[in-house]
Amino acid sequence: MKQLVTVLCGTCLLTSFAYGESTKLSLHVWNRHTLTMIGDSIKENASAIKRGYLSIKHKFTDKIKVRFTLDFFSSDDYKYGAGIKLKYGYIDIERPIAIPSAKLTFGLIKTYFGKTYDWTYPTITKVLEEKEKLIASADYGIAIFGYLPRGYGEYALSILNGEGYKKTGDKVNIHPAYVANVRVIPIPGITIGGSLFYEKAGIGKYENRLLYAGMVQLIRRPFSLLVEYLRKYSSSTSEGYMVVSIFNLRETIGRMVELVARYDKWDEDIHQSNDAHSRIIVGSNWHMLPPHKGKPTLMLQVNWEHTEFENANKPEDRVMLQLRWIISTKISR
Amino acid sequence: MLHIRTYLTAISLFVGASLLAVEEKTLTLAGSTTVLPIAQRVAEEFMELHPDVNISVRGGGSGVGIAALIDGVVDIANASRPMKDEELKLARERGVNPVPTIIANDGIAIIVHPENPIDEISLDQLKAIYTGGISRWSELGGTNRPIVVISRDVASGTFEVFKKLVLEGENVRPDAIRLASNKAVAVTVAKTPDAIGYVGLGFLSPEVKPLKVDGVSPTPENVISGKYKIVRPLYMYTNGEPKGLAKEFIQFILSDEGQNLIKELGFVPVRLPK
Repeated sequence: MKQLVTVLCGTCLLTSFAYGESTKLSLHVWNRHTLTMIGDSIKENASAIKRGYLSIKHKFTDKIKVRFTLDFFSSDDYKYGAGIKLKYGYIDIERPIAIPSAKLTFGLIKTYFGKTYDWTYPTITKVLEEKEKLIASADYGIAIFGYLPRGYGEYALSILNGEGYKKTGDKVNIHPAYVANVRVIPIPGITIGGSLFYEKAGIGKYENRLLYAGMVQLIRRPFSLLVEYLRKYSSSTSEGYMVVSIFNLRETIGRMVELVARYDKWDEDIHQSNDAHSRIIVGSNWHMLPPHKGKPTLMLQVNWEHTEFENANKPEDRVMLQLRWIISTKISR
Repeated sequence: MLHIRTYLTAISLFVGASLLAVEEKTLTLAGSTTVLPIAQRVAEEFMELHPDVNISVRGGGSGVGIAALIDGVVDIANASRPMKDEELKLARERGVNPVPTIIANDGIAIIVHPENPIDEISLDQLKAIYTGGISRWSELGGTNRPIVVISRDVASGTFEVFKKLVLEGENVRPDAIRLASNKAVAVTVAKTPDAIGYVGLGFLSPEVKPLKVDGVSPTPENVISGKYKIVRPLYMYTNGEPKGLAKEFIQFILSDEGQNLIKELGFVPVRLPK
């Protein structure tokens, strides 16, 4: 499937230079210094370009758009200290059936589960479901995604490989995963959402998986609060939640500075007593340039993260300083 | 633990440093370049009447203004098209309740160089020019010269309305020249004998010739009567019902004085001023 998607995306990209309405090129870079301490000993104290996304979004017509994103990352696993992988490669077909504001998306697509697909990294750490490896942020498959009328929310139904974008071929079981997601915004600033992921993996090395996510988000400027609850049924039952609060100081001090606090709780197996942990994150985000549609353009982030383990392991402290920037240009034809 | 303390000190310094400057409070507007001359002209008058008020007006296109309203960095988004479902959802999610106020109506005029012998065009011919079906003026009874097609960039609300009403959703031909504002289109057409472009009524001048479309001239009277077909309302979006300075400003636009200014600029008032 990976090869098929690669060929399709490559063909679309080559064709796009000859035909289409507009092309958007963008580069996202996460430049980070990390200091990690376990007890009193330093485990990590290093700077790196943690990640760089090179993205091409091309609009053939109002109805057909494609996106292709390469993910560059620093890693000691490679000769030159960096690796590259495909992150997204999909085709969007608007209104494939007579449903307004619906699109069919096919290829290496976003995983429409929980907060995975629209997490804007108010903390440097990933969203809980990714951090605890419950789900990957992208996967090969097909989805119908649409908006409810007049901005009342959105929905998505997906069929995916189920193993995430880093696994293909014989690392993927033969049974597809089914994902449903809905978000409702009854009044401005209040979002209620739920997701369900189901994969019947059959017999063998893979496990049946049933995942739930529920979220409530309140935004009333300058304050926002997000609560997400996750539960996984597999060979074991996992459970956890994440609470993120953000206070924006723009109205107070005239600068786009956010104070962020997050608390995570994760229990890998609720029937075992030594495998849970909790995480506290506090930090600040300074938007040095105004964000665009809620996404940062040039942002300096600083986070202190403290993780406590249920077992005898020593707590882990991590301080991260990250400069995140995005450049993009749109070429109209 | 020393390292952690050092970093926590750095965090405190970072937050402290960001507290130093205080921004001046103003009424800010951004968005549609069609609405821009209205907003600028009315802002000048409003500030003359209220010397203590500072109003900042920027263009950028309808999409840019709407994004700025969603991000909470402007008080009013100027738009020459209604908001899309995606924009409405994003706005509501972020606690913004976009409320539109129609401040004027506008026709999109088709313009050519004043020396162009063509005076009239049909909607079908216009669509064919912009999608590549017609490429020489001789096919319309003019000179045997290629048509230089001028269009707007994709952030433009004028472009979106033109695409919907004239092109019926089809793409503009790939060799069309894309410009960022109504003014840029008007200036380019005025300097290019073989050009065709489209602008809001407020951008008509003796430097360009407006064409009749299906036999109807793009005049405010024909827009009001509904005879001219390429028309759209112009909006100012606020977060919730307009209040405070934004309310006073929009009320001023909708007053007789404001609507007269709109008429003077060549746009179509939403109601007939006294």
